[in-house]
Amino acid sequence: MAAETLRVVCYLNQFFGQLGGEDKAGVGPQVVDGAIGAARAVQQALGDAGTVVATVICGDNYAAEQAERATAELVALVAAARPDLLVAGPAFLAGRYGVACGALCAAAQAELKIPTVTGMHAENPGVELYRRQVYVVQTGAEATRMLPEVQRLVALGLKLARGEAIGAPAAHGYFARGVTRNIVAGANAADRAVAMLLDKLAGRAFTTEVPRPAFPPVAAPRLVKTLAGATIALVTDGGLVPRGNPDGIEALNATRYGAYSIEGKSSLDAAQYDNPHRGYDTTWVKQDPHRLVPVDVARELEQSGAIGKLHETVYSTVGVATTLAQSARMGREIAEKLRAAGVDAVILTST
Amino acid sequence: MRLELRWSDVDEVTAAPATRLVGTRLEVDLAELRELLSADSRLARIRLELARPGERCRIGRVFDVIAPRAKAEGGEDFPGVLGKVARAGHGRTSALDGVAVVATDQQTDNVGTLAVIDMAGPNAALSAFGRTHNLVIAAWPSPSTERSDYLAAVRLAALKTAVHLARTAREADPDRVDVFALSPSPRVPPELAHLPRVAYVFQIHSHQRPTGLDEGILYGDPVRRMLPTIVHPNEVLDGAVLRGFMGRSVTTWAIQNHPMIRALYAQHARTLWFAGVVVTVAQATEPERVRSAFLTAGLVAHTLGADGAVLTKIGGGAPHVDMAQAAAQCEALGVKTTAVVEDMSTDGSAEGMLLFDFPGVDALVNVGSSQEPITLPAMDRVIGADDLASKLLGETRATYGGLCGAIEQVGATRVMAEVR
Repeated sequence: MAAETLRVVCYLNQFFGQLGGEDKAGVGPQVVDGAIGAARAVQQALGDAGTVVATVICGDNYAAEQAERATAELVALVAAARPDLLVAGPAFLAGRYGVACGALCAAAQAELKIPTVTGMHAENPGVELYRRQVYVVQTGAEATRMLPEVQRLVALGLKLARGEAIGAPAAHGYFARGVTRNIVAGANAADRAVAMLLDKLAGRAFTTEVPRPAFPPVAAPRLVKTLAGATIALVTDGGLVPRGNPDGIEALNATRYGAYSIEGKSSLDAAQYDNPHRGYDTTWVKQDPHRLVPVDVARELEQSGAIGKLHETVYSTVGVATTLAQSARMGREIAEKLRAAGVDAVILTST
Repeated sequence: MRLELRWSDVDEVTAAPATRLVGTRLEVDLAELRELLSADSRLARIRLELARPGERCRIGRVFDVIAPRAKAEGGEDFPGVLGKVARAGHGRTSALDGVAVVATDQQTDNVGTLAVIDMAGPNAALSAFGRTHNLVIAAWPSPSTERSDYLAAVRLAALKTAVHLARTAREADPDRVDVFALSPSPRVPPELAHLPRVAYVFQIHSHQRPTGLDEGILYGDPVRRMLPTIVHPNEVLDGAVLRGFMGRSVTTWAIQNHPMIRALYAQHARTLWFAGVVVTVAQATEPERVRSAFLTAGLVAHTLGADGAVLTKIGGGAPHVDMAQAAAQCEALGVKTTAVVEDMSTDGSAEGMLLFDFPGVDALVNVGSSQEPITLPAMDRVIGADDLASKLLGETRATYGGLCGAIEQVGATRVMAEVR
């Protein structure tokens, strides 16, 4: 068959690109024509199906320490080779390398609109960071069996490049991406719901179309002090912001939160606050912000000695259509700041 | 209660000197109709346009879609909003198949949140309104008209138009007659008493946004203080329930042709006994949600005596959880449930699809992700949003949620999100 040969670019770190070991980990992005180092295994796996037209190489430290810059530079090198497919790694258990592979693949997909594939060991941090965006083929921990590992990457990469349907994760050995894709079902949702209910009523097996969420359980820690000795912070996802929304917290799908001082304030003046939240009727909390963030009552408790101290910073974000990933990140950052400030407990008001 | 929907098929709509149905051709006197709609002083200017299936036309700024219906005998047209408050769901109603009235919102300026209808190309097949002949109403508010009054006026204009068009079929012999007859729910013939009794819990509004005074939703009531209540399914099919003004992935058209009610009628007395419909409103606070949930479950289990219930929601995340709480309360009373959800993830991740995890609420159908991007191909003309034509004419990006009729939360659509 005289099908057009696929143009493939490989991405390798300094070690697999044969520039050197840890001593060369600081080298910046560079490109070599054709396949060198581990990219030769990719060429071998491709056979006649494609040609490795270039190998792009970057040192692990450069990629890790100047991640954004490195990715941008690497994307430009990849783009110059006009590939139909990018094969990154495999990175096995090498953490910096794995993260760099994931970042480059994600960026190349988004900016160059080309399919990408990479490979890593399950415990490589790049898996958790990028498996949702990028096809990451599961590999061993070390490069002891390079060719068979690369063959699986290339097999999946070829399917992607040819626009073929990708089967279940198990069929191709990639990490479940946990992504959803709209498709057109054979019957409308109402008919499917009635059919599912009839199965459930009859005790027949049925398959839900939405998996139950696997939110990690978070146990509430015990307060080891008495309330009278504790510093209490007020945190909300109900969207309280100073007038003008200085941090530009989004009305939905928020990626930002604000830290607002209440130092010297015994209460919140409604005229000084606003609320961009688009997930509930904010009329009443705009009228009186204490309905959302009870600074007034908390100050009284502070005065009476019922609590030790009210933390002088209120953290606020907008909790509507926020992704689990953003929620977790913002929560982690706010918790770290509260802990660093010596806060013992939080009153979290949600809407 | 017995309702006849008397359908006349329409496969052509043309502007003409008189409004009438000639065989399967609907002729519309647009000047006369515009005159009729102009009587509303809340509207300053009205433009009417026609779009037909297959035409490379994009309708922009879609606010709501209404199915042409006119009472032929017994009852009022859209009672409480257009007609007098009176019981709907009985007698005979004329209906046009293949025609829709599309109301646009000329105050929506954010292109990203616009709802569009494509009359040709791949997206036309995803929406019922890519296959109907559409009469598109663009109306602008008079200077002193506030937002909520404007939307009320736009919707009223669309309802008047829907009735005006369907009245052409009142004298015609229908092409089809759908009969919806459901006897009072306790009266099950002994030979059918073994069938599981199934109720439908229909969330008709979400209090995430307060309704306007003229935002009639249930028989003209803006449902501000509504508690769960029971209606006959025919009332829903016959204009008693209209969509509110927050139009996220649901149209009045889908409610008039309610797919869940039709699905339950289709199985009624065969594989199940349709026990009735409970209408609810998604509440804004936790005590209200809990109260609404157990009242709903009580009506389903104790009053309707249902063995199973299907539930749908309207709006976004809070209604999604509100519906699930009602389902959980039903399960707690021994009523098996399935619920129709949207994929609520905003980043396409499966872990964000669902915002609840209640015992027993384990049978879920989904209507897809409204956030998933979709490409709108170039068209030859844009109507309903002339001033945005430069942005809407060429190939552009949108989301499934922005394609009116691709996702109907009441279950009318086939788009679903699959986990990969």
